Amino acid sequence: MGDVNVVIDGEKVSGPEGNTILEAANEAGINIPTLCHRPDLTPDGNCRVCVVEVEGAPRLVASCHTPISEGMVIQTRSPKVLAARRTVVELLLAGHTGPCVTDECAKDCELHYLAAELEVGPPRFQVKKRRSYPVETLSPYVQRDMGRCILCRRCVRACAEIAKKNVFSMAYRGFRSKVVVDCDVPLDKEACRDCGICIDYCPTSALTKPKAN
Amino acid sequence: MERNELLNMIKEEQAKNGSVSEGAMADMAQILQLPIGDVYGVTTFYSFLSTKPMGRHVIRICKSVPCFLQDGAMVAAAIEKELGISPGETTSGGRFSFELTNCIGACDQAPAMLVDDEVYGDLTPEKIGEILNSFD
Repeated sequence: MGDVNVVIDGEKVSGPEGNTILEAANEAGINIPTLCHRPDLTPDGNCRVCVVEVEGAPRLVASCHTPISEGMVIQTRSPKVLAARRTVVELLLAGHTGPCVTDECAKDCELHYLAAELEVGPPRFQVKKRRSYPVETLSPYVQRDMGRCILCRRCVRACAEIAKKNVFSMAYRGFRSKVVVDCDVPLDKEACRDCGICIDYCPTSALTKPKAN
Repeated sequence: MERNELLNMIKEEQAKNGSVSEGAMADMAQILQLPIGDVYGVTTFYSFLSTKPMGRHVIRICKSVPCFLQDGAMVAAAIEKELGISPGETTSGGRFSFELTNCIGACDQAPAMLVDDEVYGDLTPEKIGEILNSFD
């Protein structure tokens, strides 16, 4: 009991109160692409890849952190949703660099995988000044290349919630936003050991295992 | 104390010492049981907070559209000429720091600048010289 009834893509779906649209859709076998969200992390809603249309809502909502409510009518693949989702991925791609930009490594980059899946065409958005940072190689456990980072904050949450180490924080603002360690120093912290959780959660190649030398 | 006290603590520190040092950030992190990175993150988010030492007086030039349309570039050029420093720099004697900032809410007096907490509007190169000379 206490189930909430909604309609997703014309299909009647019910789920417990407090479940998100994403969870309800997944239960019903309806796939909504995600990027910054992982089922075992607190939803953040920052990437907007999982947007859906809710009838009567003034704008698209992020399904990963919007709870279902009785009678909701949700579209996960309407033209409006697909257009927005595509634009979101294009904007993320515009600020993204890495070996995946040339084809060979594309399978390792979730952003490029999404771009392929959503049939994003040639780049429309030009970034005047690319974010570029020196690669951080001090730590024997994690190598950070923040020029490749798309600011999904999965490493921040994974380190805080799963590893319980709180090594990463968000700093600065707008185009200068960056995942930092302490007062923006290269990663080389006592608290950071070889758990490698952040590497597993990074959707791009911004965080990697250092090559043995 | 709770995390929502953080911004007030940072503002107090900035008002007292003109900037927020790494030591001060570490103290706040300790008191609030937060990672230092979170304190650094909040401090660097706001353009009126600074992590590096500032001059005795901080000049902030609006870089938003209304001032731009009223020849805001002239203001920046006049200050650079007067003080010999570019945005983001501090004069060697520590008298002035010069920053670019977003709208300061004085569009009706564009081009405008802030020196410390004071707004100066309808600027001309001559006026800028006079204003700067009135500071020690």
